[in-house]
Amino acid sequence: MRIAVLLSAGRHRVSAHPAPVPVELQAIRLAAELGGEAFGLHAGPAIGPLHDTLGHGLPRLTHLRLAENDDPAPSLADALREGAFDLVLAGRSGQGGEDAGLLPYALARTLGLPIVADAVALAEGPQPGTLRVEQALPRGARRRLVIRLPALVTVHPAAPAPLPFAFAAARRGDVETRPGIAAACAPSEMEERPYRPRPKLIAKAAGGASAAERLKAATESASGGGKLLVEPTPDNAARAILAHLREIGVLA
Amino acid sequence: MTNAAPGLSLVILALALMAAAMMVRRARLWRIGRPASVDWLAGLMALPKRYLVDVHHVVGRDPYAARMHALAAGGLLGGSVLALLALVPPLGGLRLVWAIVALAFAVAFIGGTMVGRRRLPVRPARLSGGRFQRLPFLLAAYSGGALLVALDATLGGILGPLAWAGLALAAAGGLGLVLQIDRGPMRHAFAGAAHLVAHPRPSRFEGQRATALLPLDLDSPRLGVATPADFAFNRLIGFDACIQCGRCEVACPAFAAGQPLNPKRLIQDLAASLQPGATNAAYAGSPYPHAREVAGVGGPERPIVGAGAMIHPDTLWSCTTCRACVEECPMMIEHVDAIVELRRFQTLELGATPPKAAAPLVEMRYADEPGGRPLKARTDFAAGLTLPLISATGKAEVLLWLGEGAYELRYGRTLRALVTLLQKAGVDFAVLGEEERDCGDLARRLGDEATFQRLTRENVATLARYAFGRILTADPHALHVLRNEYRPFGGDYEVVHHTAFLDELVAAGRLPVATLRDVSATYHDPCYLGRYNGETDAPRRLLDRLGLQRLEMERSGKRSMCCGGGGGAPVSDIEGDHRIPDLRMNQAAATGAAIVAVACPQCSAMLEGVTGERPAVHDIAELVLMAVETAASRQAEAVA
Amino acid sequence: MSRSRKDPRTERATHRVEGSIRPRFDLAAAPAATGRPRRDRRAEERLALVPGTVRRRLDRTQRVAAVGALPAPTTPAVETPPRLRTIPEPACLVAVVPDAPGGRLTPHDRQLFGAARLLADANGGAVLALVESWSDELAIAGADRVLPIPASGYDPEAKALALLSVLDGLAVRHVLFPESADGGDLARRLAALSGEALFAGAESLSAKAVTRAAQGRRIEQRRAPPRLISLATDAVAPHAGTLHEALPVEFAFPEPTAGAILSAEYIPADPAKVSLAEADFVTSAGNGVTDFEVFRALVAALGATPGASRMVCDAGLMPRAAQVGASGTVLEARCYFALGIAGAPQHLQGVARCEHVVAVNTDLHAAMIERAGLAIVADAQEVMPALLRLIAEEKRG
Repeated sequence: MRIAVLLSAGRHRVSAHPAPVPVELQAIRLAAELGGEAFGLHAGPAIGPLHDTLGHGLPRLTHLRLAENDDPAPSLADALREGAFDLVLAGRSGQGGEDAGLLPYALARTLGLPIVADAVALAEGPQPGTLRVEQALPRGARRRLVIRLPALVTVHPAAPAPLPFAFAAARRGDVETRPGIAAACAPSEMEERPYRPRPKLIAKAAGGASAAERLKAATESASGGGKLLVEPTPDNAARAILAHLREIGVLA
Repeated sequence: MTNAAPGLSLVILALALMAAAMMVRRARLWRIGRPASVDWLAGLMALPKRYLVDVHHVVGRDPYAARMHALAAGGLLGGSVLALLALVPPLGGLRLVWAIVALAFAVAFIGGTMVGRRRLPVRPARLSGGRFQRLPFLLAAYSGGALLVALDATLGGILGPLAWAGLALAAAGGLGLVLQIDRGPMRHAFAGAAHLVAHPRPSRFEGQRATALLPLDLDSPRLGVATPADFAFNRLIGFDACIQCGRCEVACPAFAAGQPLNPKRLIQDLAASLQPGATNAAYAGSPYPHAREVAGVGGPERPIVGAGAMIHPDTLWSCTTCRACVEECPMMIEHVDAIVELRRFQTLELGATPPKAAAPLVEMRYADEPGGRPLKARTDFAAGLTLPLISATGKAEVLLWLGEGAYELRYGRTLRALVTLLQKAGVDFAVLGEEERDCGDLARRLGDEATFQRLTRENVATLARYAFGRILTADPHALHVLRNEYRPFGGDYEVVHHTAFLDELVAAGRLPVATLRDVSATYHDPCYLGRYNGETDAPRRLLDRLGLQRLEMERSGKRSMCCGGGGGAPVSDIEGDHRIPDLRMNQAAATGAAIVAVACPQCSAMLEGVTGERPAVHDIAELVLMAVETAASRQAEAVA
Repeated sequence: MSRSRKDPRTERATHRVEGSIRPRFDLAAAPAATGRPRRDRRAEERLALVPGTVRRRLDRTQRVAAVGALPAPTTPAVETPPRLRTIPEPACLVAVVPDAPGGRLTPHDRQLFGAARLLADANGGAVLALVESWSDELAIAGADRVLPIPASGYDPEAKALALLSVLDGLAVRHVLFPESADGGDLARRLAALSGEALFAGAESLSAKAVTRAAQGRRIEQRRAPPRLISLATDAVAPHAGTLHEALPVEFAFPEPTAGAILSAEYIPADPAKVSLAEADFVTSAGNGVTDFEVFRALVAALGATPGASRMVCDAGLMPRAAQVGASGTVLEARCYFALGIAGAPQHLQGVARCEHVVAVNTDLHAAMIERAGLAIVADAQEVMPALLRLIAEEKRG
């Protein structure tokens, strides 16, 4: 099986240094454990620390060189078509661009491939040319799918942790660089400014609640504390706990 | 005189030739190792001193063993050599010569008996059985038999047939001993001598601590050690020098905690795997606790580590690199070097780091910090204190290296105390702030030499931009790395630990301290300060200046026990029966002290993690601050 | 001493007559108790007193305790039915594609309707719910029109194609998706199919502008709301106040074609087996728990994932994998229920990201009690069987 893993130009979440995207490293692991030939694919101006992906279990990497701010989609689509891959893996959301996670869908559309999101485990399917995909759903639920290949699958962060980095393997790995297809990005209508975190909405103070209630909800959560019961009878304690668990919605 | 005496000389000659052949055979195995530069002449010249002073300094910690060894080895060698000399015609006829031979063998016999007394009827757990258990009988047979022959020669043949019986006994015992040269206990004698001559760290014998790990050439075709042939040849000699005395096993914190590491067994597995078609079957000492299943086969070109080889990876990752085994080893074997070289292969070539240790290595690669935290948050602990940045002035008398502990809430208190003290004493100091990257200690101990070298180069480049007199740090791991391991990368600094620095300040009267009466404390030596850098006096001197009642734990100073926090052991997290800090805390509690004084962020974190009733954990800086504040308040009271 | 505390403003609010624009108050109606007991400062001080010290020491870091009082049973306020609002001639449609697993709206879905109402009301439009089946929840959530989408099994591509036909066939000004696993997937499929840009993971939304984080949360992008928007969770308040018609709409969908998904099987999360890092609700045992049979039974009855403190794992009473904390697993759970855990700093690091913490511990001054949203100073060993009993009773009837 020929597997392509799409790699994006990530940055470390704290230091902002260029770094591989963790979920793409997890994709490499899924590819490695599925067996078959894995190829890394990156389209962008420079390969930078993506070279390190070769130390996480990826044997070879193709770099499609693009100018700064070029759209990687045409180059990737072209390389994927040419490579005739059975399976294309991508992170759930790449980095370096808008981080919208749209690229895999656009590629799948261009290539006419089916796409499945949020895989945490891959295995050979029951018939040749099929693949078993375990899909992560919120709160630990899963969905087991059998899909027809070729297909594009995006990987979820709940997939197994990346294979640890092996410096010597990265040193040995192959990097092929070739020019990509120059394609300017569509002009953005976006206004951009430095990010500032927005306060999360407090669920209790839903719209329609009175100002006093909203204030109460806000101050309560700010002071961290809610109720405190000192030495209740075990039954009272149990009742309070169950009521509270229902109120926050973890218990039916 | 009967003819038994010349017979003895001839037997010994034959045995000596046989022994030489076996030694050569074993020594040829060492040639599979990588070349290493060894100053043979200097080593040979230094051998008597290395043996008589350095080895006996360690052996002498167990006086019984020292006496036993001196008698058995001295008598055996002396008697045998003299008996050989008796082959020279005029000497063989002299009764006096035979009297001396008899005396020597009598001494050896006593030594042999002591060997037996130690092992019989009950063999202590740390000593190996198997071939080792036969050793006293062989020693007694050889020396006893030779004694009879020599006595007979001395007394003019009055023993008659008894001398012939003695000769037979000596021949049998001697044969047994010679056959042990290959794999048994007698190997240590010649391999030990060769090891002392060709020791990979000769400066150990010149009064230096010589504890820095050696840099790895990242361009070499194979990184780290996979097979015995990847070790330098003089490391292989070191493994053969092991006499299986088990002192390392007694000292090893991981062994005590029931983690699958036994330094003695590790060295034996390494020594065994030299042989083509090797197995670990001959080993008869204590096993690795909760030993993981391994095939137990090896050879010069076969992998050492793995479930299908000699040593399970969990064994490697259990090590805290505390060097207690190295400190205790009478044969001067470098266990930690071997473990790190094996780890380097696992990490750099195979990417077989323990799962939880992989994350900090990734963070170090992309965020220069094992926790992946922002570098500028390192100074957050000092909120409210003024912490001068060296980038503002470009120079300072003292550069304060904060280290990883700065991110931790608990250790932040210690650093606050230290910074307050520096300010009170009017020290001209500054910090690097967000220019300080991790020192790379954790990466290096986990075998990630590539990350260590990158961090080192970047830190050296940062430090080169500023002018400072000394580097002050409260983290012994950073101290060790900055002081000893940055040198090959162009970083030569004078690094001082905060305990030594505060001791200077108090001694110079720059920090007036009150005596903390009614406080009892026991000092826990950090491995990287005490054992690695030999600094055991300054912290104690400083504690004494505070006037508190200082109690010593059973294991202290250079022979102190690790807290379990070094060498990446907390992130490797290999399961055992106990946690090392719990064991250490029990030792501290046994002194009855109310406070465990620590001097390292790792020790502080590990010992603070011990739950239940226990002495309080305070860094020495906190105790000094307490004394300084007490002094200030007492003075204020006196004025009022 | 736990008399109710008087709060004139709240009391007055309880007399308010709903449904009129001008505030009107019916003061004759029986006022409902506000349920907040009066503070007893002396008792509070008694609780704050740190025992075992010679000098009197108060631990003021404890938050104010509702001394000995149970949470007052909140009497359900007499609900006047919300006013029905109809939009007979909408200028446009704002479509909402909620996840609605099992036909029930999630809180995230309701927020989606809140956002849709905002956009619809600003443009004189109506909210169109695109769901698998009609339910009366939709009217309360704020849907004016409901269009059932044909669906059989898990086939997101077919669903996206159906949505595309709606997009082409009706005057849809905006389509809102939840930025959840399935909703996000569907939004991107539709974006790829339609060739339109998706504003993914909007973190704030108004009629004029939407914003989102980009480039690793280093920059914020902002623009006027485009057609396709997926909304992050807890970004917009759910709709409240008015009731809407939720009128079913007819639409001719194209025939679906077979997709690439050959089979799909849903596996619900097994709380007992799910990894701690992914668990939603973790119940954890510490030193205060001695009977682990009861603990395990309670964990099963609550449908929680079992966890433990380091001490318990060290003692071998729970597996090492169950250890919560800096040296064990750092949780992402919604709720953490700590039984007999005092809360060592390393342990608290492990629960730092939990939204709700419930703690039972004998020590009032334990850090875990301070951290908890519901803190009970009692012996966990006694509370556990009481909980089990209560759950069993409720099951019976």
